[in-house]
Amino acid sequence: MGKETLPFSQRLFRALVRVLPFDFRTNYEGQMEGVFREQHREVEERGGLLGALKLWKETIAGILTTAPREHWQILTSDCSYALRMMGKNPGFTAVAVLTLALGIGANTAIFSVVHSVLLRALPYPQGQQLIFIRQQEKNLGIEDWGFSVKEIEDYRAQNRTLSGLVEYHAMSFTLFGHGDPERVRTGVVSANYFELFGVQPLLGRTFLPDDEKLGAPPVLLLSYEYWKSNFGSDPGIVGKTFDMNDKVHTVVGVLPPVPQYPNENDVYMATSACPFRSSKMHLEDRDMRMMEVFGRLKPGVTVAQASADAATIAAGLKAAYPKSYPENIGFTSSATPLQQELTKEARPTLLLLLGAAAFVLLIACANVANLTLARMARREREIAVRSALGAGRSRILRQLLTESFLLAMVGGILGLVLAYGSLELLTDFVGRLTPRAREIHIDSQVLLFTLTAALGTSIVFGTLSALFSRANITSSLKEGSAGTGSGHPQNRLRSALIVCQVAFSFMLLIGAGLMLRSLIKMQRVDPGFVPQRALAMKTTFSFSKYTTSEQTVVLLKKLLYRVASEPGVLSAAVSDRYPFEPESIVGGAQSVTFSFQIEGRTLEPGQAPPVTTYSSVSPEYFRTLGIPLREGRLFTEKDDQKAPIVVIINEAMKRQLWPNEDPIGKRVTNDGGQNWGQIVGIVGDVREFGLDHPPVSELYVPQAKSPAPGTLLVRTAAEPRSMAKALTAAVHEVDPQTAVTRILTLEQARYESMASPRVTASLLGIFAGLALVIATAGIGGIMALVVNQRVREIGIRIALGARPASILQMVLGQGMLLAVLGVGIGIAGAIALTGLVKSLLFEVPPTDVLTFSGVGLTLLAAAALASYLPARRAAAVDPNVALRAD
Amino acid sequence: MSKKRETESFLPLTAAMFHILLALADGEKHGYAILKEVARRTEDKVRLSAGTLYGNLSRLASSGLIAESEVRPDLVLDDERRRYYLLTEFGREVAVAEAERMEEALGQAHAKKLFRKPKLA
Repeated sequence: MGKETLPFSQRLFRALVRVLPFDFRTNYEGQMEGVFREQHREVEERGGLLGALKLWKETIAGILTTAPREHWQILTSDCSYALRMMGKNPGFTAVAVLTLALGIGANTAIFSVVHSVLLRALPYPQGQQLIFIRQQEKNLGIEDWGFSVKEIEDYRAQNRTLSGLVEYHAMSFTLFGHGDPERVRTGVVSANYFELFGVQPLLGRTFLPDDEKLGAPPVLLLSYEYWKSNFGSDPGIVGKTFDMNDKVHTVVGVLPPVPQYPNENDVYMATSACPFRSSKMHLEDRDMRMMEVFGRLKPGVTVAQASADAATIAAGLKAAYPKSYPENIGFTSSATPLQQELTKEARPTLLLLLGAAAFVLLIACANVANLTLARMARREREIAVRSALGAGRSRILRQLLTESFLLAMVGGILGLVLAYGSLELLTDFVGRLTPRAREIHIDSQVLLFTLTAALGTSIVFGTLSALFSRANITSSLKEGSAGTGSGHPQNRLRSALIVCQVAFSFMLLIGAGLMLRSLIKMQRVDPGFVPQRALAMKTTFSFSKYTTSEQTVVLLKKLLYRVASEPGVLSAAVSDRYPFEPESIVGGAQSVTFSFQIEGRTLEPGQAPPVTTYSSVSPEYFRTLGIPLREGRLFTEKDDQKAPIVVIINEAMKRQLWPNEDPIGKRVTNDGGQNWGQIVGIVGDVREFGLDHPPVSELYVPQAKSPAPGTLLVRTAAEPRSMAKALTAAVHEVDPQTAVTRILTLEQARYESMASPRVTASLLGIFAGLALVIATAGIGGIMALVVNQRVREIGIRIALGARPASILQMVLGQGMLLAVLGVGIGIAGAIALTGLVKSLLFEVPPTDVLTFSGVGLTLLAAAALASYLPARRAAAVDPNVALRAD
Repeated sequence: MSKKRETESFLPLTAAMFHILLALADGEKHGYAILKEVARRTEDKVRLSAGTLYGNLSRLASSGLIAESEVRPDLVLDDERRRYYLLTEFGREVAVAEAERMEEALGQAHAKKLFRKPKLA
């Protein structure tokens, strides 16, 4: 028959019919077309556009109503068939569902975190307009210099890109009038702070411009959590008063349960109520920086524009106040989206974990595809019979996809349950990396992700198995048995899948191994002090009771005297902070860094001044922490307020500034030469900002010269935690209004400082362990199958004189070949992916030979073990039984 | 399942199904003939399109109410692509049951004097 062009109507009809199921079309398409042709001819004979339109309308409606009905019918029959098949093979079903559940569950859990923390917009109206502004001293390596009151006023007046600009700083104050004196975390904010974020109060009101005026009656806003836990959600809380900083504060409102950035606080107060922020020094001195600044972009303005705007303002300030912004410090200012700012630490870890979870799912997919293929080998005859009974190829493909879809869905639901169960643990972990952790939950988009993952999974392994059923349908009816050799294409595919599983497992194990090695290295780092049997107690005293430094010095002396006299205390000291304090770990050295001058050294034009971190400590500090004296002397009681200023430096500072001279006797200043401090001693380095951070320059000054609230450090003879109660009582004996807010051993502090790498290593370890088990089981499974398929051949070999040892070797060799290939690909993959983990490692190269060889050997050993059992069975084949089997 | 209950499980039939069964009651027909017959007998009130016709034929055939005919008319008259359908004994029972169901409903409507006689002017 020659190729004739069909009339347009018929071509259109044919296109339309394609929405019907394939089998239906095979059966009826020709006839339907015949009927339509007749109808169309009739309409044409009668003429008239109306008739033709009516025919098309009816035809389209008919097909569109028939199609879903036919598809549905096939789906229900496929599903019930699939369920019957699943029930018939409970072992296969359980293993497949569990494997998929683990893969999908791991992905759902990690995705819910990534989605809540990295992807979702901040839960404020137009959250993408919120930005974080920072002043930097680029040349000194200080990324966040903070803002002074004067600077905030300048930015507020001069910016052209923001619809609002607010300030924030966090303080701890003691609250009276509600049972025991209680330390509350207090956010000190601009009056329009909550308005800028778009937060409406749950009760009462937020701050008004009048609240911020100097001398305004102090008012408080309670956070939802604080109101709930400490006041039992008292609806009549608004209007109640509390004493704080010797002033009466009135509660004016309660915040809704919104995530609080940048820190969680118990209460909020307006700037004028903070005794520091409203002091003359802070109001007038441009260089008293302690505030953070947030802004909201005007509509249509980009972050880049706001950043440029901030830089322009900074340049103007530099020109106007050269004393505050010396040329050589590299002063500038920039803006970043608030969302990015809040998640910058979590991002690399979370992305690494998401990648790891995806690997687990891929391995799970490969494993289930393998299981399915193994089952297909046993189902070939069934499928061939169905095919012979008239089921079309696509009908069988569809049936197999339905089966895999059902498996994946059940696995997905179970995975969701697993993910839900792990959420609390994950939230706790991510809480160390970002304040957004509390927003982690499973919502509709996470469910959609799970559904997509399950669907994608079922398509991947369903198609793989279906493709092979197609290839085998014709052959298996002809062949009597499943006596297929190792050259069988299905076995080749299965072997390829095993190689993939081994390769992915290898990469995951490398990730986990590298993290573990980092952690071990970090644990071995000498912190520079003796954390054992040392206790840190965070204390705050009433700022309004101890207003002068003389009063504070007296209090600190009394405290130290009383605590040191407690039985079991070897020594006690006061400092403004303790090593591994969470605030130090998060803020880093730069949060306590300042620049200074050395007597007799002039700077080249443009040369940055030296910088150092700074700590004020009481004389016993070094002895209490076990920090060794290298040269000179330590502080004594004589280095009091009246004595000339003396300072102690650490070895890092000596190495950096006086590499070839003796710094003892040299003098330094940080106020342009009004006060000079003479170096009297050099002590060992302390890694107080985290074990993975190299020691930085540190300058110690006597506590008497700069008395500040902070930490009581105690070295004890016995287990330090047992003394916590007695020591707290001792503090309250000296001054009942001094609150002890945190007590922990320095060993605890060190342990906590490594929480983030530890949890990352644990999670990666869990994923890698999962992968190892799945891959090993896969190797064992395929080798067992190969042995089963080759029983006859092995029997013949043995009958012909092959020794069992050589059979064992042959099977073992086959299994090991797969493992070696997998490890080879895994090595290449791991090297290609090193960039992902590099930033998270500590003193371990991403291609660490020890980790690579260790992981490789582990995998090969596991593979050898997995192949050994089937190999032994092969060697034990009785040729008589094997040859009779058929 | 008893035969009666099996028959009743199909009731009520859709209008399209009932009319297809009716069309086959007096002998086997091919698709287009069924379609024409239904349109003629219902004065175009029930119009089947190709899709609805074969959707229904497929379902009726898989339930055993109709079957494809083995016998074909003379080749001259026959288009080789056409397939002929016939009413099975079971299909006839179902059609009768449906007709009886309708008859009963009609009787009840009469008893309730649902059909008012036109009033004389």
